[in-house]
Amino acid sequence: MGEYNKPLPNINGDSKEFWAGCKGHELRFQKCKACGHVRWPASLICPICYSKETQWIVAGGKGKIYTFVVYHVAYHPGFENDLPYVVADVELEEGPRLLTNIVGCRPDEVKCEMLVEVTWEDITEEFSLPKFRPSW
Amino acid sequence: MRRMLLERNADDAVFGHFGAAAGYALAGRRAMHTFRTGPETWKHIAVGQRKWANLNPVATMYDRPMTFEDYYNARWIVEPFRLFDTCLMTDGGRAMIITSAERARDLRHPPVLIMGMGQNNPSYDVHQATHLAGPTGAKKAGEMALRMAGITLDDINACEIYDCFTYTVEITLQDYGFFGPGEGEDWLQNGTIEPGGRMPVNTSGGQLSEGYYMGLTPLSEAAMQLMGRCGERQLGPTTNTKSPEIILCSDNGGILQTHSCIVLRRS
Repeated sequence: MGEYNKPLPNINGDSKEFWAGCKGHELRFQKCKACGHVRWPASLICPICYSKETQWIVAGGKGKIYTFVVYHVAYHPGFENDLPYVVADVELEEGPRLLTNIVGCRPDEVKCEMLVEVTWEDITEEFSLPKFRPSW
Repeated sequence: MRRMLLERNADDAVFGHFGAAAGYALAGRRAMHTFRTGPETWKHIAVGQRKWANLNPVATMYDRPMTFEDYYNARWIVEPFRLFDTCLMTDGGRAMIITSAERARDLRHPPVLIMGMGQNNPSYDVHQATHLAGPTGAKKAGEMALRMAGITLDDINACEIYDCFTYTVEITLQDYGFFGPGEGEDWLQNGTIEPGGRMPVNTSGGQLSEGYYMGLTPLSEAAMQLMGRCGERQLGPTTNTKSPEIILCSDNGGILQTHSCIVLRRS
């Protein structure tokens, strides 16, 4: 794999499981055993009912765009060749919203509420990133 | 600086997401989906505030007039925001002295009184937030401040609104109740917020055109206006506007995550 010059995920105790899932092309989220709320970012307690009882589920990878922006300035040199690129907040069918990139279409084709599905980008030996493309 | 951005934004940076402009742009884009808004509305805020800056010798943009055409011709920063939707970066400072009304009575300048304050903090991280297109914290904070002051919006003569981006001004005025969702463009028509307008907003040029001093850009300007110390841009006969008795001020933080509202009155 060529040199990857963009920022890498910061692994912590909460997010470890999520990024391990991504490596195997699975989107894993915590589901509260008490109230059923599926949450992101990962955390020790449920933000809805404060229960600590939780299980990891695998999301189907389908969702819709809640909102998005198009970057025309690279705030990090790693993104200079990607301009213009789309950062979106994607609402998954399971509930959580994930900040990600929309790929596989032109920036001017992206719209709020557009249906999208996950597509994986293997960036290093250790990491794969969940990005999303239009479901058309 | 880069390290700070990476640490503060955690894994956002992995996807090339950095800083406040993009966070507010996510909010602005959701608003464009939710009600009638966008650059057509925001241009009135950028250009209107610039007209005030052109009357303010200490404003960064004092000698730089701006037209709607200039607004549209400016480059994209993070779409849907162009250059003039975003605030300035400023080295400098502002200070205000807060004391009791009794002690203020003997000071050289006429004091300005705090009539009401309100605060509301939706707090949710932008990724999971449901308030990006309103109601933001401005709604409850504004109601709280007006209630404490014992007044209604009709009593307000001018507004000094925290304006990190043009959209912030629109959503704040909308949530305060000056107009309904999507009515901003109509409300702003014909120079409503400009010199000579019926509801002057950000009379120093604000953070978009004067300088970015966080919440002190709006607050200090409100105090100066109520003291009558604003020279060419002074509200009243000088700018063909109402002489100010009461000015409404806002501040907000994060990506619309915190909000405070203060009502100030001339003594």
